[in-house]
Amino acid sequence: MSSFASARLESSKEQLVSLFSEGDISETFPQSYTELVDRYFRSFLEESETGHRLFRGKNPFALVAVGGYGRKELCLNSDIDILILFKSRLPSTAKKLAEELFYPLWDMGMDLGYGVRSIRDCIRLAADDFEVLTSLMDARFVGGDSPLFLSLVESVQDKIIKKKAGALKIWFEAKNKGRMDIFGDASYMLEPNLKEGIGGLRDYHQILWLSKAFFKIRTPRDLEFAGILSHKEYEALKEQLNFIWLARNRLHHLSGRKNDRLAFEYQEEIAKELGYRNKRGFLGVEQFLGDLHACMGAIKSLRRSFINTQLPGNRMKSRILPFPFPKGIHISQGELEFDSATAIIKNPMLLLEIFEQAGALLFPLSMEAKRLAREFRYLVDESFINSRDAAISFGSLLENRYASHALDQLFETNLLEAFIPEFAPVKDRVQFDAYHTYPVGRHLLEAVKNLKELPRRKELLLLEIYSNLPDKEALILAALLHDIGKTGKDHSSRGAALAARILNRMGYPKKKVKMVSSLIRNHLLLAETATRRDLNDEKIIVDCAAMIGDVETLKMLYLLTWADSNATGPRAWNDWVANLVEELFFKVLHVLEKGELANPDNARRLRRKQSQIAGLMSEEIPESRLKNYFELMPPRYLLDSGAADISRHLEAVLELEKRFKTEGGNAFSFSVKKEGTEGFWQITLMAADRPGLFSDFSGILALNNINIFSSCVYTWRNGIAVDIFRTGNLPDPLHIEDTWERVQRDLKMSLEGNLSIRKRLAKKASPSLLSVSKVPSRAPQVSVDNNSSDFFTIIEVFADDKPGVLFQLSRVLYELGLDIRVARIATKADQIADIFYVLDMEGQKVDEENDLAKIKETLLSMLEKSIETPARS
Amino acid sequence: MKKIEAIIKPFKLDDVKEGLSGLGVKGLTVSEVRGFGRQRGHKEIYRGAEYQVDFVSKIKIEVVMEQNLVPEAIKVIAENARTGQIGDGKIFIYPVEEVIRIRTGETGEAAI
Repeated sequence: MSSFASARLESSKEQLVSLFSEGDISETFPQSYTELVDRYFRSFLEESETGHRLFRGKNPFALVAVGGYGRKELCLNSDIDILILFKSRLPSTAKKLAEELFYPLWDMGMDLGYGVRSIRDCIRLAADDFEVLTSLMDARFVGGDSPLFLSLVESVQDKIIKKKAGALKIWFEAKNKGRMDIFGDASYMLEPNLKEGIGGLRDYHQILWLSKAFFKIRTPRDLEFAGILSHKEYEALKEQLNFIWLARNRLHHLSGRKNDRLAFEYQEEIAKELGYRNKRGFLGVEQFLGDLHACMGAIKSLRRSFINTQLPGNRMKSRILPFPFPKGIHISQGELEFDSATAIIKNPMLLLEIFEQAGALLFPLSMEAKRLAREFRYLVDESFINSRDAAISFGSLLENRYASHALDQLFETNLLEAFIPEFAPVKDRVQFDAYHTYPVGRHLLEAVKNLKELPRRKELLLLEIYSNLPDKEALILAALLHDIGKTGKDHSSRGAALAARILNRMGYPKKKVKMVSSLIRNHLLLAETATRRDLNDEKIIVDCAAMIGDVETLKMLYLLTWADSNATGPRAWNDWVANLVEELFFKVLHVLEKGELANPDNARRLRRKQSQIAGLMSEEIPESRLKNYFELMPPRYLLDSGAADISRHLEAVLELEKRFKTEGGNAFSFSVKKEGTEGFWQITLMAADRPGLFSDFSGILALNNINIFSSCVYTWRNGIAVDIFRTGNLPDPLHIEDTWERVQRDLKMSLEGNLSIRKRLAKKASPSLLSVSKVPSRAPQVSVDNNSSDFFTIIEVFADDKPGVLFQLSRVLYELGLDIRVARIATKADQIADIFYVLDMEGQKVDEENDLAKIKETLLSMLEKSIETPARS
Repeated sequence: MKKIEAIIKPFKLDDVKEGLSGLGVKGLTVSEVRGFGRQRGHKEIYRGAEYQVDFVSKIKIEVVMEQNLVPEAIKVIAENARTGQIGDGKIFIYPVEEVIRIRTGETGEAAI
């Protein structure tokens, strides 16, 4: 008896499932499965003795399918919701009936949602619990006493729905908020919940239930027949639902149980089963997820429009419009409408202008308006896209405070990609990793939204920067287009080029196009540098600053980085990353405002110089190796020195590196060059850097009576000190060679540690031939600046020029435990102006206030002492 | 068995990871952390407002290994993480009482 029916059900289901696995009947699975179950119940009714007895005893009952089973939407492992309905009183054999009916199903491992109730029970429960109500609204007669079923339907309609339709709608709205809170979260977007998620099956169910409640439709088909959805909308909805059911069935099948959450572990397999294949640069699973997101997005917006605009009781009060409104559009009950289809044909610009108004006023488009917009999308043709009016309209759309609101609707109606065709290939692109939450299209809109909503957020520094941007438009455009190049590798430069094309087409001024393009090209720069490079390295910061070029661009890049990362996923932006990027921002800002690149031309000069040097050195060094050497040169060195000089130095450094290997670490390089005709010379000294080296060099020159006029000191990152001295007139112009020889001899001894410069200088009694006459001395000045540079402590000294003063200064610095990394020494008339960039022995800026004060004191007292004891060379 | 915990500068993660895998270390755990030692956070002044950052972002690496690998591992981590500047980080060593592999129930060194 029942065992026959259940045996048949079991084998039919098995057959169905195996057909499903082979991909045969996947699209009609829900219906086929429902029919199988219906057949089981009907067979049961024919065969059940208990059932027959109840009928004979004037206790008729009906078998009613409710919930998903009622809707004929059974998936592989769905619950079967069945109701045994009696008229008023439950007879004593009802329990036996239920057991007979249900046990076989349980034995088969199916999940049942069941009830044995009277009509009155149902009404009572449904009045209090909308979950029960909606389940009953899906009731479908399976077998038994049909008048009973009709009676139930009538009672539900008259006793509950009539009174509570409005409450039901409000209940849904509250639930949707709750769903948004839970399922709008990043992790849920990566593993979408096909039923409860945003745009999932529940959204469709809500449309059905509310239509049943307010418009008394009976079947889904009625949605079209009753005019709630257009034919196209209905067909589209059916397709989207079929796709989701398909995915859901595959998910049930793979996971072996009732399951709505499309977890990572299933995504690739399902994509494969559905026939998605990897293409170049676009994985099968990414295509699948893209399509799924597109479906769910469409269903979400359909539900939203439906609830907001189709149902009574939700009208917003009309506002008085403060400015002239474009002809062809009007506002009706809080929504934007086209006057008519003809209005659109007469003036296709309305297709953009209505969205412009949506952003300006924060009104939604009505469902009808969205429908019309989609229908007339073909009017957005090439001349439309290239027209000035369209560009102006789009521009003001972006400018509005509620631009995101407008963009969302523009995106939903597929008009955005009509107006900017470059959007089409990337908008549904999903990146299959646990990092990117949204498909690219959605992500770009979220980035814009982040910027527009900045005033409402807690990021005070960013808000401060944003509020004071002179050109917010460039930033918004960059946010909107920054990933448009994501059709393949290297999306930053591709995106920059695409954006330039788009913006030129729209007629934006060249300067703005260039700015947006460069923002897009560099949109990953700050985040990558901050997390992957050493922010304590001046070179890294200066390189970054050189690429960015100026303060305005830096600020916009910072904001773009934040907007982009925040719209990517929870791992892309958090306090940890924010910390690093903020640090980088400030360091680059300082370099651009006060430091080496404060002059915007410098970045360009740097680049030009490097290519000049490449040209000069092309014979001797391959370009790749040359690049490595550029990395070694301090930024200030590259800026200060000419290309020819740098080439010469580079040759000398290469030479010196070889000699380190043959002669050891004390090798040095000494070269001289005559400057001009007045007997001035340029001496270039190179050696392995160590603390005190510069001091020794200047001491040796002083020992040999060579007056140092100016000097530049640099430490290359390979540890070679490059010290360039310019001298005044030499003491013995006739025997220059001898002088140079003596100097080199002293250098050799000093580097080997065999020369005490201090002692020798002390012994020098006789004043040099160049001893200057006593001029009135001014008070020496020393300033110790720990703020201007993030990387060095800067010491500036102004004092009278005296032979040997440079040695003394640098000697004091050495004794204070400071390492001179860069220095600029200059003489003006009788005064020296020296600036030293120093680090302590640990390679850090000087830390303590006391130490800073001590430096100043010690230098001052040394300088003041030497005033009192003149002419000590 | 010992657990090595190292706090290092973020940009050094790849180098340290390469170094450890060169040693044959099979697994490690990485977390993004913030903290301070002698390298303190800093204060920035932008348009008259102060933006104080007290905690510096670092990476924490945790790895469990047999006792005899520890000295090598420490050397590799330190060499790869060092820049010579303040803020390079620290390495901590802890004794490990037991290790269990959840999937199979293996214990001890076989579970590492």
